[in-house]
Amino acid sequence: MSAGEPLVEVRDLAKHFPIKRGVVFQRKVGAVRAVDGVSFDVNRGETLGIVGETGCGKSTTARLIMRLHDATSGEVRFDGRDITRMKGAELKKVRPEMQMIFQDPYSSLNPRKTVGSIVSEPFAIHGLYPDKQARRRAVRELMDTVGLNTEHYNRYPHEFSGGQRQRIGVARALALKPKLLIADEPVSALDVSIQAQVLNLLRDMQRRFGLTVVLISHDLSVVRHMCDRVAVMYSGKIVELAPNEQLYSHPSHPYTRELLAAVPRARWYRGASVS
Amino acid sequence: MSTVAEPLLRVEDLRVEFPTEDGVLHAVDGISYDLQSGRTLGIVGESGSGKTVSSLTTMGLTRRTGAHISGRISFEDRDLLTLSEEEMRKLRGNEIAMIFQDPLSSLHPLYTVGAQIVEAVRTHRDVSKAQARARTVELLELVGIPDAARCVGDYPHQFSGGMRQRAMIAMALANEPKLLIADEPTTALDVTVQAQILRLLKHLQQELGMAIVIVTHDLGVVAEMADEIAVMYAGRIVESASTELLLSAPEHPYTWGLLKSIPTLDGPRAQQLEPIPGNPPSLIDRPSGCHFHPRCPYAQPEHARIDPRLETVSGDARHVVACLLDSEVRRRLWRERPR
Repeated sequence: MSAGEPLVEVRDLAKHFPIKRGVVFQRKVGAVRAVDGVSFDVNRGETLGIVGETGCGKSTTARLIMRLHDATSGEVRFDGRDITRMKGAELKKVRPEMQMIFQDPYSSLNPRKTVGSIVSEPFAIHGLYPDKQARRRAVRELMDTVGLNTEHYNRYPHEFSGGQRQRIGVARALALKPKLLIADEPVSALDVSIQAQVLNLLRDMQRRFGLTVVLISHDLSVVRHMCDRVAVMYSGKIVELAPNEQLYSHPSHPYTRELLAAVPRARWYRGASVS
Repeated sequence: MSTVAEPLLRVEDLRVEFPTEDGVLHAVDGISYDLQSGRTLGIVGESGSGKTVSSLTTMGLTRRTGAHISGRISFEDRDLLTLSEEEMRKLRGNEIAMIFQDPLSSLHPLYTVGAQIVEAVRTHRDVSKAQARARTVELLELVGIPDAARCVGDYPHQFSGGMRQRAMIAMALANEPKLLIADEPTTALDVTVQAQILRLLKHLQQELGMAIVIVTHDLGVVAEMADEIAVMYAGRIVESASTELLLSAPEHPYTWGLLKSIPTLDGPRAQQLEPIPGNPPSLIDRPSGCHFHPRCPYAQPEHARIDPRLETVSGDARHVVACLLDSEVRRRLWRERPR
C-alpha cells in the first residue's frame, strides 16, 4: 500500500433495486438501475465531489462504498483491499476507517441520547477507551475540536441548532479517526448563514486529520468551493469526471453544461466582485 | 414605468405576534413595502426571519392561529386585514394566489390533479364542469405539462416533483390573479427543473401582467427573478433596494454576510467562506438594540441599546437600510472588503 495508490477504487459498480409485484408471492418484474456501472478512484487526501440531481444515484454510490448496501456487481477496493463482499469480523475491522455524515441533522441523531453518549457510541461499538474517564476525556476533546461547548456534554440533540447538530455528527464521524469521510448533502438542510460554518469546519477537519473526503451534493457552488475533482452523475452513470477548475470552466459533457447553466446567479454581485 | 402608479399591494407597518407559553413571539415586526402590477419583489431571509408569516398574513392565512395582527395591507382599494373571512375567501385563489414550497403536501393526495384545478376554477367562476375541465387542460398546457389532456386524470403521486410544482402553479393561475405569492417555489426542486419553473413564472408574468412576491432564502433565485429585494432579519426588513443596487452596493452587514457566506460559481474560489457567526435569534427573546448586533462584526457598544430605523441611503430614495453605522463607513467597509 503505497501513498500514491488511491484510497478508494471503484470499478464497474452497480446496484439494481428489484421492482416487485404481488402481496404474498412477490415476483420481480423489473429493476431500478440506481447505480449502473460506475468506475472512479478517490485519491488519498483529496476531496472528490459527486454532483447530480435527485435520483441520479449519488447517494446509492456513497452507500455502496460504505457497505450500507450490497453491490449487485462490480468492486469497491478500500486501502488496497476488496471490501465488496467482506463479511463479519473482517468487515467490522474496516468500518471504523470510513465514516459518514448525513443530510438531516434532525433525524440522524438519536433524540433520547445525550451528545456525550452519541459521540462516544463509536468507542463503545469498537471497544475503545474501556476506561470511563478516558472515554469522557476523548469525547470532550472531539467536541472541542468541532467547536462544540464541552459543557454541553449532557444535553440532548433538540437543545441544539441545526448547525450545532451537524457538528455533533462530524464529531461522531471523527471519533474513530477514519481515513475516509463521506458527507452526503451535509449542508442542504441548514440555513444559509450556517452552511458556511459547517463547510469551513469540514475543510479544517480534512486538513487537520489528513482526511480523504467524498462530498455528495446537488449544489454545484458548494462542490466547486470544496472539491479537488468532481464527478457528475446522471441516471446511474458518471457522465463526466474532471479536476475542479476544468469542469467549471470547460465542462465537456452536455449534461454538465446544462446543470451549470441552470444555476441562478447573483449576476450584479459577480460583476461587482470580479474586477 | 413613467409615472408613479398606485401600487397594487401596499403593506404598512405590518406586525404579526403569536402569544406562546414562553412569551410573545414577534414573527413580523413592522414591515412596509409597495408592489406595482407586473413587478416582482423578492423577500430574502433565513428560517425564522418572518418572511413566510408575512406572506401567509397577506393571504389571510394566519387569522385563525390566534395571532395578533396589526398594520395595513392595502390591495387595490381594500384593506385585507379588515375584510371578513367571506370576502377574503372570494379574493383568495382568485385575485391573490399563492404557491407553496412543498407541492406534495399542498396537493390533496386522494383527488386527481385535474379535479383540484377544476375546483379552483369553479369556486370563483360560474362555469359548467365541462368548461372548467377544458380550462384545466388549457392551464396544464400553459405551465408546460406534456399530454395535459391525459394528465388531468392523474393523482399527485403520479407526477414528478417538477410536474407537481407546475400543477400548483396552474392551480394558482386558474383565475388569472393580479398578485401571486410564491413561497420558496423551487426549493424542493433540482436546478434544471428550478430553471424551467423560474422561466415559466417570468413568462406568465409578462403574459398576464401579475405582480409577484417571491419569498426565498436563495439570493441566486431572487437575483434572477426580482426587480426589488427586501432582506428580512428577525421579523424586520433590514435592507431593501432595487435588485441591481442591493447586489452591487449592499449596505447592511447582514446582507454582506449573506453574500459572502455563499460559495459562488463565478469568480475566484475563496479559500475560506466567511460565515455569519452565531445563530439566528429567538423571536421571543430578541437581542436588545439592533437585533443583529450579537452577530455583527462591526457592532459598537451603543448598538446594543439603540434600535435602528430604516433610513434612506443617500443617492436613491428606494434604497433603505436599518443600520447604526455611518453610511460612509459602510460604503468604505464594503469597498475595502477582502476578496
